[in-house]
Amino acid sequence: MIRAEALTKEFRQHDVKPGLLGGLGALFRREHRLVRAVDGVTFTVPAGAKVAYIGPNGSGKSTTIKMLTGVVTPTSGRCTVGGLEPYRHRRRNARRIGVVFGQRSQLWWDLSVPDALRILQRIYEVPDPVYRRNLALFRELLDLDALGTTRVGELSLGQRMRAEIAASLLHDPAVVFWDEPTIGLDLAFKRAVHELLNRANRELGTTVLLTSHDLNDIAAICDSTVILSGGRVVHEGSLRALLDRAAHRYTIFGHAGTLGTAETIRTVEEALPGVTATAADEGRIRLRYDVARWSSREVLATLLTRFEVTDCYAPEPDLQDVLGELYAGGTPDDARAVRT
Amino acid sequence: MAGSVVRYLAFVGVGFQSVLRYRASFFVSVATTATTTAVVVFLWRAVYQHPSHPAPGGFTLPTITTYLLVAQLLIRLHDNRVDSEFANDIMTGNIAVALARPARYPLMRFCLAVPVIVADLLLVALPVLALFAWLFPLRWPGAADLALFAVAAACSVVLAFAVNLITGMHAIVTTNTWGVTLLKTTVVGLFSGGLVPTDAMPAPLAHAAALLPFRSMIDTPVRLFLGRYDTTADALRLLAHQALWTAGTVLLCALLWRRLVVRIGVLRG
Amino acid sequence: MNRAATAPATLHGLLYYAGLTWFLCRVSLRRLVTYRADFLLGAIGFVVRTGVQCLLIGIVFNWVPTLDGWTRDEVLFLFGFALLPRGLDRLFTDWLWFVAGRLVYTGEFDRYLVRPLRPLYSIVAERFLWPDGAAELIVGISLVGYAGHRLDVPLWSAGTLVVAPLCVLCGALIYASVKLLCASLAFWVLISHPTMHAANQVAEFAGFPVGLYPAPFQWVLTWVLPFAFTATVPVAYLLSGEPGQLVWLPVVTAGAVAVALAAWTRGLAAYRSTGN
Repeated sequence: MIRAEALTKEFRQHDVKPGLLGGLGALFRREHRLVRAVDGVTFTVPAGAKVAYIGPNGSGKSTTIKMLTGVVTPTSGRCTVGGLEPYRHRRRNARRIGVVFGQRSQLWWDLSVPDALRILQRIYEVPDPVYRRNLALFRELLDLDALGTTRVGELSLGQRMRAEIAASLLHDPAVVFWDEPTIGLDLAFKRAVHELLNRANRELGTTVLLTSHDLNDIAAICDSTVILSGGRVVHEGSLRALLDRAAHRYTIFGHAGTLGTAETIRTVEEALPGVTATAADEGRIRLRYDVARWSSREVLATLLTRFEVTDCYAPEPDLQDVLGELYAGGTPDDARAVRT
Repeated sequence: MAGSVVRYLAFVGVGFQSVLRYRASFFVSVATTATTTAVVVFLWRAVYQHPSHPAPGGFTLPTITTYLLVAQLLIRLHDNRVDSEFANDIMTGNIAVALARPARYPLMRFCLAVPVIVADLLLVALPVLALFAWLFPLRWPGAADLALFAVAAACSVVLAFAVNLITGMHAIVTTNTWGVTLLKTTVVGLFSGGLVPTDAMPAPLAHAAALLPFRSMIDTPVRLFLGRYDTTADALRLLAHQALWTAGTVLLCALLWRRLVVRIGVLRG
Repeated sequence: MNRAATAPATLHGLLYYAGLTWFLCRVSLRRLVTYRADFLLGAIGFVVRTGVQCLLIGIVFNWVPTLDGWTRDEVLFLFGFALLPRGLDRLFTDWLWFVAGRLVYTGEFDRYLVRPLRPLYSIVAERFLWPDGAAELIVGISLVGYAGHRLDVPLWSAGTLVVAPLCVLCGALIYASVKLLCASLAFWVLISHPTMHAANQVAEFAGFPVGLYPAPFQWVLTWVLPFAFTATVPVAYLLSGEPGQLVWLPVVTAGAVAVALAAWTRGLAAYRSTGN
């Protein structure tokens, strides 16, 4: 559905020298340098997939999305959405996509949410039955009625985002581009938003490309990821595969022995050199180990032989950790080879 | 005391920096001011082209040209956007933040406006003056009149600032800043003598202008610039009259400001 | 794509935009009713301003019977007529001020590019029926009616009824083109509001006969920023019945529109979407 091929975007950045002379000089001759915001990005998103597009600030996420929505034209390379190049066929593309740019409103600041939705119905020529069905859904899940007839400009950020999300899904778009869609939303509404998008994906086959700083959004919605760093793709694959790349894993256990917390920690660290043990809640111990050095099996076996284990579990690797490692230069490949 | 002066001087410095950041807009501002001035000047000059040789209000062609030019330049200096910025501060609620600062808001606003006025004088008013002096014969004042004018012009800037601040207070009632400032500019433009010298006004209008403070904003300084007074005592009386109106308006502004602060306190709970 | 296929598509496009415009105008009317206090204040401000300008004309004619050959009523007629194209333009395109002043600079312009509309339409459609434009039209029509009646201008003749609205329409297009050209500059310099403001000030010249101004000014107002064609030229025809420069009006209008649209198109391609 979405295809990016060696997609590159360069910007000219003008450097104006400080001071009056520099400013006057800039009137006649402008010095600039090229900044490559997106650098040869290639990825594909099949129809119906839910992909998280992740990267640290300034990694080129927003610029990619701007190219995919037709706002800016790539410097080189190309991208297509449903077979169309968005920047060439902007209006035809716009009809089939739904957009939320969290920082920027898509609505009319001096109109109420119901007015805005009615205008959007006209613009996208949404048939009445579809409009009624979607509106009922939004009212139920996003509690649009609570926004009343207040102007969008006077809504709080969270209230506005509920309206933005409704606006982006009103015309049953084939592809949804959501850039920070849950800023300002409380937990209940975040869940509602996840539910809304997952439902659209299930029932209408909506393709999703999502960026969010809230990793819960990603975990709740997406099944695969494209990770960007410094304008380049550093990982493309399922969320599962991403988590498997974790360089460190955790095990938390409790035991019935007489050893105190400090002694337990010392015992564990002696038995498993290189493993960090810390006290967790209710007398449990939390182990952090390097997958390059220890396998889960070895760690568990050691624990079972040394302690009278009463409870033991291994949480998912922390997505934040994995991303942090990726941004820092990627996991060493030999780490994966050693794993059992 | 010295500390607080330094604090306000800091605002002046900040103002200068932000003014210079938008220096490109001064080129455009010169064009805008020159255009506005040209419309009035050409209209009045056309009057003098008529074969009946009229002399409205006793003005000759060079003196009326000078009058209108200096009047428009003063209007430029008076238009420091304090009214709309102040209104905006009230509407966005920034005013509450400003009130929490250890500086008096009106005084801070004035300090921020001073560099704008100075920059407008140097980068806009003087170039436009030079342009018109090159195009038309003007009547230049002597040293004494120039000094009197300088005092009156400075005073008029303070008066205009107070009027702008009072205008900005409308924002507590309505959000249509555009309409209110348009209304103010128009009323002030008419009764200050900016479009028609009070001497050339029909009697009822001239009487009305005499009763309002706005005449002190334009007519008084330009009158001194052109030396249109009889004796030195006459000139000093004009200045005293202007100072009185300025003091009165500043006082009114201070009173309204106090009520506004109370009202904002009430609104914010 | 063959011609047979494009024709219905174009027709559908026209109907689509016409229907949308009608709908958005209705939304704007409701908006006016909701904020009628704001609307009234703006209207009062405008009426007072126009009143003062008429007063200025009155005062000037206290001293002389004619100005460059124009009588008081003729100048009032011209002044009123000049408000019509300006008001008509303002009624529909004032959102361009925000393009020049803010939208490109902050990157908010993005939102007009993700809607399935032509960007220019999308921009002006942000808000139709600006109340200030309505006030301008009403005052202009009143002045033209008053002065035209006193001057015995055949306001209800077929010729006037056909030519005058066309002149107003062309004049509005000239105003819109100048505005669009200034707004387009923002794509390169980010904020072009001061330039637009300056051009808007130049339009003030149009409220009086261009004969009042020196020859170089007249030339600029006729052929560079062709505001003379929005008032002086059509009014000279309406008062005298002689076409004069009026034959150039369609050409000048087409030229202005073409230049503005070219600048807009090139500007859109240069849009960088700065901000976050």
